Amino acid sequence: MRSSALDKGLRTGVIFGIVIAIMFLIGFTVTGAGLVGKLFGVSSSYNTPPLTFFVIFMVLMGAWAGITAAARSLTEPDTLKRALTAGASAGAVSGLISAVVGFIFGTLNANAIDPRTYLPMVSPESTKLFLMNQSPLTGSLMLLGVLTVSGAAAAGLSFYLRTHDGVKSGARNITESVRKTIRSEGVARVTNSPYARYGFWLLVAALLIILPRTWGGYWNYVFGTVGIYIILGLGLNIITGWAGQLVIGYVAFFAVGAYTFALLTAPEPHNLTMNFWLALGLGVLAAGISGLLIGLPILNLRGDYLAIVTLGFAEIVRILLKSDLMTEYTAGPRGVRDIAGPTLFGRSFVSDVDFMYLIIIAVLVVTFIAYRLQNSRTGKAWYAINLDETVARATGINAFASKLLALSLSAAMAGLAGVLFASRNQFTGPDDHALMVSINVICLVIVGGIGNIPGVFLGAFALKGLPEILRETENYRLLIFGVLLIVMMRLRPEGFLPAKRPVLEKSAQTSSKEAQP
Amino acid sequence: MMLHVENLQVYYGAIHALKGVSFHLDKGEVVALIGANGAGKSTVLKTISGLLRPREGSVTFEGQVLEEVPPQDIVRKGVIHVPEGRKIFPRMTVTENLEMGAYIHADRAAINRDMESVFERFPRLKERRNQLGGTLSGGEQQMLAIGRGLMAHPSLLLLDEPSMGLSPLLVEQIFDIIQDINEQGTSILLVEQNAQMALAIADRAYVLETGKIVMQGTGDDLLQDSSVIEAYLGGH
Repeated sequence: MRSSALDKGLRTGVIFGIVIAIMFLIGFTVTGAGLVGKLFGVSSSYNTPPLTFFVIFMVLMGAWAGITAAARSLTEPDTLKRALTAGASAGAVSGLISAVVGFIFGTLNANAIDPRTYLPMVSPESTKLFLMNQSPLTGSLMLLGVLTVSGAAAAGLSFYLRTHDGVKSGARNITESVRKTIRSEGVARVTNSPYARYGFWLLVAALLIILPRTWGGYWNYVFGTVGIYIILGLGLNIITGWAGQLVIGYVAFFAVGAYTFALLTAPEPHNLTMNFWLALGLGVLAAGISGLLIGLPILNLRGDYLAIVTLGFAEIVRILLKSDLMTEYTAGPRGVRDIAGPTLFGRSFVSDVDFMYLIIIAVLVVTFIAYRLQNSRTGKAWYAINLDETVARATGINAFASKLLALSLSAAMAGLAGVLFASRNQFTGPDDHALMVSINVICLVIVGGIGNIPGVFLGAFALKGLPEILRETENYRLLIFGVLLIVMMRLRPEGFLPAKRPVLEKSAQTSSKEAQP
Repeated sequence: MMLHVENLQVYYGAIHALKGVSFHLDKGEVVALIGANGAGKSTVLKTISGLLRPREGSVTFEGQVLEEVPPQDIVRKGVIHVPEGRKIFPRMTVTENLEMGAYIHADRAAINRDMESVFERFPRLKERRNQLGGTLSGGEQQMLAIGRGLMAHPSLLLLDEPSMGLSPLLVEQIFDIIQDINEQGTSILLVEQNAQMALAIADRAYVLETGKIVMQGTGDDLLQDSSVIEAYLGGH
């Protein structure tokens, strides 16, 4: 059966070789090496990272290929020879492909031909790094060597870990004992005791109070944005996650909130300069009412009308705000400037720290409302409509009124997010309210796990926080998004933190299948 | 007369589904509507419960006109519709499904009492009360649908094809339960394709054919009628 191990290894190697080649062609090898450097605490956002980190990156790729190949060729009996064959062949083939690519571009560079006309990311520096600062031939051979050795070594190591009893039972013992400790009564008493919970929440509260003061304006900006998107996500989750009505143009309500607030507080174009809190209330109210008005004519219809109508509404709002026609009322394409910040007892709170606190408070309030709604009678009615509108109506639920309430609550929360957004930036313009905002909110709700409140937090962090933390990958944001979505659909089709019900259903289904004769 | 339906005309777009249906139901009766696929049986029930609106005709329940009343208010008058096809909330547990049935009631203690009595009637549901509705077997789902209807305290229960897709043994069980519910004081309007079973428990019955009532009589009369036997009972 040696041939099948070789076969699997070669196939795996081809896949990894192509992946490495593409990474090189789009310049990701440099980024990857930079990320490795970041792991070691060496930041090098704008320079070519040191060679060591690139070699580590390649070793990791080779190891990944080797482990994958060894796992794919796994049969009984498991032998070291098979694992090594698979790992080494996978590493060698991927190395060969990389070497050929490196050699071609290295030669082009040596002959002063610039491939950037066609492949803008293949700079001489990145080619040089790919060839480990060597001549094309030596560099290619070194790539081949690094990948082959790391593939074989990783496969051998994975074999050792898999079969070696000492390691196996050792690992099992550790996981067992950890599990036992977690489940033991003593720990349970501690985690279940009210004091532990108070302690945990005290810690969270302390972090929420201390962090905005200590981590600086940049992180306040990043996490302020995350907070605003959490509010948007919780709002959309009401109408789409719970009541099951898809809203695509959610940004429209965000825009209504932001502009209502902006026009009421900014010196231009109306010179109203209203009190912050009053304007905040009016912004939320205006967004809620706009949701109500949009819902009135269409929510007694079923199907995807709401999605289409809100999509159209969002575009109409954006285009109206942008048009010269409305300049007199909405300041037109250049947007509204000098929007007011919060004031309290005559003092003004406009620093980044103050805004962070304001956003944290708003997120807490909205989260509290969301939890109350979820467990309320209204929440149950929404869920019933989501599952089967006919039956819901037959049990006495006023489907139209319930959906209308859900939509205007959603819209009001979007309005709150819009107010905070406009006030923090002291500016809002038509481009802040493009359709991409809606798409982002839908994405974060789905990625986090539709219908689940903690899922919204995770989704907002993953979509709005992570890209800032991983600044190096900026150019590859869409690529990483795509990979993330594919991985998610394969591994967690219901989102990273799915709402509890679907999981329950799955396990209940299997058990009932087993129970039936 | 508890329910009086007069000259009901219902359309689905251009399709004329009910062409002047009239019938009545007295308090305490089991009345069956039998007929083939597409005769309009379910349409009659949906019109009574307010899910559909008639273009002409009237529905009167205990002296009140229903055809302009929205469905959620019809439920509050005690007319409860159990839709066809074992329609339950698949991703809610048995308990939650029953609680949804009592949506119009607010008294927590009374709801719990009602749930106990539903569990008494359907012990299978009690065993599975924490299981999701979608994971129940066909018969259990039908029981759950009926149980959910009972949670609303119906004075008139509209049952749409409770025997659909069930094994003969289960059909018999379901019909026993329907009879039992009726004996405890709930009037029942039963729509069925299984004419044999329906006529056996019905006080009176109507035969519906392409949107019109073509025959009526007591259950026993219709069971003996040669044209009914020919058309609906696999006649000899």
